[in-house]
Amino acid sequence: MIRTFFALLFFLSAISAHPVIFKNGKVFWLTQNPSFNDIRFGVSKSSNWLIGGRFLEDRNSNETFALINNNFLAKRWNNRNSQANLYLLSSVGLDTKNSKSMGTIGLHGDWEDRQFMVMQMLEYYSYSSAVVSNTRFAYSPYTADYSKTSTWLIAHYRVEYSNDKYSYMFFPVVRLFKKNYLVEIGFNRDNSFLTFMTHF
Amino acid sequence: MKQFLAFLLFLSFGLSQSVVTIQDSEIEINENEAVVEVLGMVCSMCAFGIGEGFSKTDFVDKTKFNDGVSVDIDAQFVQVGLLKSSDANAEKIVQVIEEAGYDVNQLFILQNEKLTKFSFDKLGILQPMAFNLSSNTGN
Repeated sequence: MIRTFFALLFFLSAISAHPVIFKNGKVFWLTQNPSFNDIRFGVSKSSNWLIGGRFLEDRNSNETFALINNNFLAKRWNNRNSQANLYLLSSVGLDTKNSKSMGTIGLHGDWEDRQFMVMQMLEYYSYSSAVVSNTRFAYSPYTADYSKTSTWLIAHYRVEYSNDKYSYMFFPVVRLFKKNYLVEIGFNRDNSFLTFMTHF
Repeated sequence: MKQFLAFLLFLSFGLSQSVVTIQDSEIEINENEAVVEVLGMVCSMCAFGIGEGFSKTDFVDKTKFNDGVSVDIDAQFVQVGLLKSSDANAEKIVQVIEEAGYDVNQLFILQNEKLTKFSFDKLGILQPMAFNLSSNTGN
């Protein structure tokens, strides 16, 4: 059970509309799944550094996890009609039930224009000694201006290497966003999730 | 040379409205406004951060546009209303864009009936590159 929980949890770590936002901007993020709640809050201290907290609740095991996230934008390439980013990610925290510590380090790269997006993220999780790769390809069937709702169709593929074994997960995801609000709905044969995020 | 500069200066006066071009889009600019070409502004969340940045300054005229700012993501520009009494300048506008995480390619300011185009030189220093412009087009 705990393995399934972490597999989905670490998949959800990859959902992000920029892990760092504008200076002094704040981000609130809520993900719900039949088996857990995931709540995050963060503050961008500058345009390349966000620090935040994350609280997770696993309803099946009645376990809760508390983490501090640290996201650093190492490099951004701003071009006409496109943007690319390289982020360094880390977090430290506790399983509040047994006080076992946990930590993550990761590398996140993405490129996007008005209609296409690719994202690759590699992370190491100390809790399960796992290396996880998340890959996203996204397409927006139309371009929407600032006041209109934008729609993205996303193929998300995840590979985890742990205990000399590979495991795989694929999610089709629909992302909707308008101004500073984002909603994602993902579902496959075994799982589903709903995410709400806002910047302010 | 002095005569040429004086001629440019002469042409630059007397404008309360003009048109500038960014990525093939013609944009009407009025007195006490700035038009900024922003690189990397590809989504509404990017644009929101830029709007939030301008809303916290003391030089934006919030009676213009939407709380002082108009955004066109397709053409990648931001139009800002500037308070007549403020000390708004190109450096302050660029600072807002950069603190939101984006870059400025060029910007136009129409103030005191003078249209000025700014862009970065080879050393990365913001420079006024041209004055307006007999055709009334700040391209």
